[in-house]
Amino acid sequence: MSNRGNVSKIKIVSIFFSLLLALFILVQIICVVTHTTLPALITSVCSKEIRFAIELSLITSLISTILCIIISIPTAYALARYDFFGKSLINTILDAPLALPPLVAGVGLLILFGTTPFGKALAEAGIVFVFTPLGIVVAQFFVNVPFMFRILRGTFQGINPRYEHVAQTLGCTDTQAFRYVTLPMAKNGLLAGSIITWSKGIGEFGAALMLAGATRMKTETLPISLYLNMSCGELNLAIAAATILIIISLGSLFIFERYGGFARVF
Amino acid sequence: MIKIENISKNLGEFFLKNVTLDIGTGEYFMILGPTGAGKTILLEAIAGIYNPDSGKILMDGRDITNIPPRRRNISMVYQDYMLFPHLTVEKNIAFGLKLKKIPIEEIKEKIEDISRMLNIRHLFHRFPGTLSGGEKQRVAIARAVVTEPNALLLDEPLSALDTKTREDLRHELKKIHSVTGITIIHVTHSFEEVFSLGDSVAVMSEGMIVQVGRPDDVFRRPNCEFVANFVGVENLFKGNSTINNGISDIDIDGAVVVSAICKSGDCTVSIRPEDILISRNKIESSARNSFNGKIVAVIDKGATIKIVVDCGIPISAIITRRSLDDMGLREGMSAYLTFKASDVHLM
Repeated sequence: MSNRGNVSKIKIVSIFFSLLLALFILVQIICVVTHTTLPALITSVCSKEIRFAIELSLITSLISTILCIIISIPTAYALARYDFFGKSLINTILDAPLALPPLVAGVGLLILFGTTPFGKALAEAGIVFVFTPLGIVVAQFFVNVPFMFRILRGTFQGINPRYEHVAQTLGCTDTQAFRYVTLPMAKNGLLAGSIITWSKGIGEFGAALMLAGATRMKTETLPISLYLNMSCGELNLAIAAATILIIISLGSLFIFERYGGFARVF
Repeated sequence: MIKIENISKNLGEFFLKNVTLDIGTGEYFMILGPTGAGKTILLEAIAGIYNPDSGKILMDGRDITNIPPRRRNISMVYQDYMLFPHLTVEKNIAFGLKLKKIPIEEIKEKIEDISRMLNIRHLFHRFPGTLSGGEKQRVAIARAVVTEPNALLLDEPLSALDTKTREDLRHELKKIHSVTGITIIHVTHSFEEVFSLGDSVAVMSEGMIVQVGRPDDVFRRPNCEFVANFVGVENLFKGNSTINNGISDIDIDGAVVVSAICKSGDCTVSIRPEDILISRNKIESSARNSFNGKIVAVIDKGATIKIVVDCGIPISAIITRRSLDDMGLREGMSAYLTFKASDVHLM
């Protein structure tokens, strides 16, 4: 009897809220994927437009993820290992895109590449970011690089520098010690960071919309396609794009939880 | 072999202040000190991981102060092993040899030899994460020794291990030292390790070397209160043991102590003061060790009282304040010490 008397109110209430929230999320996902019939979905996915959007999304997100990795590895390593003047300021600046609304980031990028001498010089050299697929890559990179950077910084911080010390006493230069010891040890963080960056890249909308625009069959990624088709009433195509995005997001989340549970994004 | 001349290094929390040491070729050199004394930085400075702020380090007469670690050929083993978790035991051991571009056949031979010596051959295909503490430390030592370094630096290699494993590994270290003749610098906070392994010892405190000498000398003649308190291990003696009917008779400067542990030859004897029974009259018991002597000191240690009795060798016993009052023991009185052969530890 005493057990029954001890059932706490806060336990019941808090569990109730967590179930309610989970239900809310589940319902909206189910709403999307069950909105059309399976044959209609297959037809839409096979349509030329959606196939283009899938392809463009995959290519741009892959390139932007690779760029994020290349830039984040040295940056994260420097901020995890060394003390230097202005380090905490740099840390704050590097985190800024996380807090910035993507639309604002997009406006910033548009002004940088569209109006400044730097942007104009690039455009004259044939590197055009405004209203091109290249702009999508840059927008994805800008918005998502903090995720990669933060995960890698955490990963490097978690690797005792003494591993490198031992490697150096065994004959490594400092670069070799990083290459043969620290980098392989950071494998899980790299994988987790890549997955989350790639999945965020696939879903990137706001900044890409500002910089690259929403041109059908030109800068039409999956989210852009969802937006365009939703605006002009092509519900089946919109749902197809949404369904693919859901599958990618949930798949990435699963892989991230599995391999990157130790890495903290925030 | 390795000469450290007046080096200083400030890393904030840890620091070295004017450290000067001379370590001979093939010497087993111990560095003893409490946590935070700067022992690890000293090793890291010798290995070349940190450049000292001032002072010089010489190896075989050559100034190596600003030479990077890889060109010093000095290996280091940390207390927490630092085995590369993504490599198998075999690849961990081969790591240094591969960097030196030694032919595969020769690498195989070398890691085979060292692994047989340290008894880790059966672990070759395991990953470090699956090994016990003792196994990890053996692999770490193998990885360090297999490159045939000029010197081997050990940072508290036995501290994290259980008593049995520690005992085994202590023997391995002794063996490695005698077989390879390598110069070893071994950092520890245990005076027992110093006694059983070291040819020489330097005692460190707050980034400075406070005393250097043979372990016996440092133990018998501490030059300051810090050393006296720190090495304050009671009843540690060097002796010579002979085995008789399954027990050892150990001759310590003429006094013969009986131990239940069988070991012959030169050895280190330790008896815990709290295992010794003190009385004013001889006690008849099954305990094999019984000594008579004069009380030379009664030292108040707060909760307990330490009594030092000169029985040819100075033996300390610890009793409670109550027992002291009951027996009325005072300096200059005659007393009997009784302890069991099984309480006499041999190293």
